[in-house]
Formats: sequence, C-alpha cells, structure tokens
Amino acid sequence: MDNLLQILFNGLSVGAVYALFALGYTLVFSVLGVINFAHGAVFTLGAYFTYLLLGGAVGSNGLLAGAQLPEGLPFWVALVLAGLGCALVSVGLEAVAFGPLRRRQAEPLLSLITSLGAGVVLVNLIQILMGAEGYALPAGSLGQLPVTLELGGARVRTIQVVLMLVSALVVVVLTLWLERSRGGKALQAVAEDATTARLLGIDSDAMIQLCFAVSGFLAGLSGGLVGLSLSITGPYFGIGYGLEALGVLVLGGLGSVPGAVLAGLIVGLAEALVPGEWSGYKDAVAFAFLFGMLLLRPQGLLGRAVVTKV
Amino acid sequence: METGLDMTLPVQMVLGALLGLSVYLPLASGQLSLATPGFYAIGGYCAALLSTGWPALGGELPTFPLPSLLLELVLGGGLAGLIALLIGRPVLRLQGIYLAIATIALVEILRVLNLNLPFTGGALGIFAIPQPFNDPAGYLAAASLLLALACWLCQRLETMRLGRAQAAVRDDELAARSMGIDTARVKLTSFVLSAVIAGVTGVLSAHFLNTWNAKQGSFDASITTLAFVVFGGSRTWLGPVLGGLVLTALPELLRPIGDLRLVVYGLVILVGPVLFPQGLITPERLKQWRQLLPQRGRPRRAEP
Repeated sequence: MDNLLQILFNGLSVGAVYALFALGYTLVFSVLGVINFAHGAVFTLGAYFTYLLLGGAVGSNGLLAGAQLPEGLPFWVALVLAGLGCALVSVGLEAVAFGPLRRRQAEPLLSLITSLGAGVVLVNLIQILMGAEGYALPAGSLGQLPVTLELGGARVRTIQVVLMLVSALVVVVLTLWLERSRGGKALQAVAEDATTARLLGIDSDAMIQLCFAVSGFLAGLSGGLVGLSLSITGPYFGIGYGLEALGVLVLGGLGSVPGAVLAGLIVGLAEALVPGEWSGYKDAVAFAFLFGMLLLRPQGLLGRAVVTKV
Repeated sequence: METGLDMTLPVQMVLGALLGLSVYLPLASGQLSLATPGFYAIGGYCAALLSTGWPALGGELPTFPLPSLLLELVLGGGLAGLIALLIGRPVLRLQGIYLAIATIALVEILRVLNLNLPFTGGALGIFAIPQPFNDPAGYLAAASLLLALACWLCQRLETMRLGRAQAAVRDDELAARSMGIDTARVKLTSFVLSAVIAGVTGVLSAHFLNTWNAKQGSFDASITTLAFVVFGGSRTWLGPVLGGLVLTALPELLRPIGDLRLVVYGLVILVGPVLFPQGLITPERLKQWRQLLPQRGRPRRAEP
C-alpha cells in the first residue's frame, strides 16, 4: 500500500501545480474572456528567474554565458522575487498583446494570436540569453529542510510537500482576496461587465493590469516550484504544462477558481494512476478529460452555464 | 545546398497556403477550429504507411508512381474527412473559444496516439517515404495544382448555396437558422472540407519531407496555421493563401539573422493583428484595388 500512497501523493503534488497554473489562466479568462497563450512562457520565465536568484550559473551557450549572482538568495526570497518579476513581465504582456486590441475593440480571438506571438518572443529571448540546455536547480536550495520526509509510512520529497502547501496557501489567499476585499470585488465587477464597472467608478484598465500581475505572479511561482521539483528542461518546458493547464481550466469550468483547483487535483491524480506500461499515453489524460467534459458538460465541473441572450 | 533551399521554400509556402485555407473554411461559417494540424498529421501518416507498407503501390520503384500518389491523396483526404464527419457532430455543438479548445485537445490526443501507437514508428516516425518526383519542381507543380483546386473551390463557394449559407451562419447563427438554414449541416460540411484539404496537404507533405513523425501535428502548428488566416485576413479566401505564403517564408528568409529570427517572427505575429485587425486582405480593400485597375467594361466572372 506504500506504493499506492506514494502514487497518490505524486499525483496530488502534480495536480497542485496544474491548479496553480490554471488559476492564472482562469483569472485572465474571467476578466477578458480570452486565453492568454503567453502564460506558459511566463511560467518558464519564473523557473529561470528562480534558478538565477538561487545563485545558479548560466551555461556556456547563451549570451549571458557564465553569469551568476555572487551570492544565492534563500529559497523563499528567490521564489517570491521570481513571482514578482513574472508579474511585471505579465503586465508588460498585457500592454503589448492585449491592451492595443482592447482599445480598438477588435475581435477577441485576435489576442490568441498576439499573446502567442508574445510567448514566442519570450521563449526565444530566454533561449538567446540562457541557451537551449536544461538546468537543474542547485541542490540544497531548501536550506535547512531535509530532502525527503516520512509521511504516514511513505517517503516523500520535501519539495512536493512545499508545492502542495504553497498551492493551498495561494488558493486560500486568492479566494479571500476575490471575495472579501474591495479590489477583488472590483475585479469581479469588471469581469461581469467592464463598461458598467467603469460607470460605477472602477478603473477597468487598472483592474485588468492587476489581474495580469496576479496571473503572472502565479505563473512565476508555479514555474519556480516545478523547476525546483523536476529541473528545467529548456526554454520550451512551460509549453507542455501550459497545455495541460488549459485542459484543467476547461475541466474545472472557464473562469471558476475552485473549479480550477478541483480539476487540477483530478488530472494530477488521474495521470499518476496511469499504469507504467501505458505511460506514453499520460499526456493525453488531461485532454481526454477535457474533450469528454466539453461534450457532456461544456461549462465544466464548477462553471456556470452560458445563457445566450437574443 | 543554397539552391536546394531556394527550390524547397516555394513548396513549403504553397503547402502553408493550403493549410491556411483549411483553417479558413470553418471560419467562413464562423467556427474557430484549430483541428487542421491533426487532420494534416492523419493525411501524412496515411501516405507514409501506405507507400512504405503496401508494395503494390510501387514504393520499391525508383520513382513512386503518380497513380499511387493520386490514390493516397484520395485515401488520405477521405480518411481525414471521414474522421471529421464522425467527430464533427458532437464537437461543433460547441462555440467560440470552447470549440477552439476542444479542437486543440483533439490535436493533442492525436499527437499522443501517433507517438505511442504500435505502427506509427514512435518518436522517430516513419522514414524513407518514396519520392514521386525527383526534384522540388515536381512537388511545386503538384502542390500548386492542389492549391489551385482549393482556391477554385473557395471561389465557387462564394456563389453557391453552401457558401452563402456559411456567410449567413457566420454573421448570425440564430437568424440563419430561423431562415431555414440547416446550420449544423453547414458547419459540418465546412469542417469536413477543411479536414479533407488538411489531409491531402499532409499526404503531399509526407512525400516531400521524406519522413513523418508526431511533431508534424502539434499545438504550435494549430496556432501558426491560425496565424496564417488572421494575418492574411479571414473574410476572403485570398487572405489565408497570402498569409500562408508569407508566414511560411518568413522564418526561412530571416535565417541570416540567426537566433533572432524566431524573436522577429514572434514580433510579426504580435504586431500584425494590432496594425491590421482585419488582416492584410479584406473585401473592402479588394474592391478598392479592383477600382484602381484600368476600366475595361465590367470584369466578367470566369465561367467554370
């Protein structure tokens, strides 16, 4: 039974990453009604930021070859700084890829293309600066914490516990902020109807920027955590996660925060339960779920059905 | 090697234009489907498996016989169309972004299947696909012929009942339905036509590239082919053709600037929609350009 416990635990920690990642998508979707295809690139950036801030050295292939911080920062500081850096980048993305289209009231579908263009630019800049090689985050990044923990008879990696705890904390804080604070309420109002919100004195543009900042912060955080847990496999490594998270997003219901969390955990668990001899098909699990869900219940697990008014 | 590049690029461009038309057709009836790379991959695997695995087609001959290629085009396009027909009904009930995501999922599921099925050659794919033409010029002729056929179809559609119905569904689905248009059928027909075009393009590409693997139909391709249409303009068939030609050529033409080329490519698809939200070619612009031409009576529509 140890084995099963282990599998469940792995699944839940992967699911926690998906959930964290999908939350960033879902925030932007709920406000703008579009998908930000640069989200995966921001996630990648978060992993690289974390790596550099922890004191990792750049390999020999990029323009920055050999660069390194004189002193690595503690893990928590590096992670939060990486998240903040990604938040800034994400606000910048909004300014170039979404803002101009919104102000021209162009077809929302166009921002699929512009955000992907921005993602391509980001990923390739990373490649030029850092090279295409993979990076393993420095060992002992967790400081005093041991590498593995004993939990209920199963040995688990500490980083997985950290991942789950951070995800849980983020979900609680985000939900409280959205439901209880003035800013969160304002964001919800903009999501409901931007024009009306503006009439009520809410600065819609500022709220949208805030939303991108939070979404970027979440992407950076999840990127850093995944990088630490599994190492960075190159500038394209966020794209796969970006797609899985898209599946999670739809499964949970576009724009639903608790839905994204629930769906993230379900997909993570389901992937972990795929038997070894079928492991090649693991990547299709999220999409099979997504596909089935779209056909049976397009609004997702916890989403609201869309009623078309004539 | 320089001359080799010069000759293969036009073939890739024409194949790109075909894929652009494949994305355009569902969009002409208002449906954003990103399934094109999936059907393209199906066509390619069809050609790769048939030509390397079925000796009767003549894969052992020095040049692959043209009738066999023709048969593959029919089978590859047909299989893609058949699959589109089967999944089209349930999938096309979805609208807008939901349809786009479902089709992305479809492409990814197909990619994972292609990577893992016992007969598709795994990650390496299928090699040594026989060549029906000895030089790229032959491929260019074949691809251009397919493109011409597809363009002719799209041009014909504009005056046919189906094309008019597509436009009606795109402008207002509810109104179209209340006027007695079978909207589900119109959408399904567009979807199947799109799949057939993608399938035959895949057949030709597989021979042209000589190898075929799961990378040929991926999420990236979904968005790049959509970029063809958005960049060129989604309201006339000329737009996707132009977009496919230009955006396929761009990364190759930018090769001299090395690593920066993909950054520039990204910037182009980032800035393009902002500057030209309707794409480069719109019906209004076409009209203006036509008026600039010297007047020689009213231009007559060519009889097919």
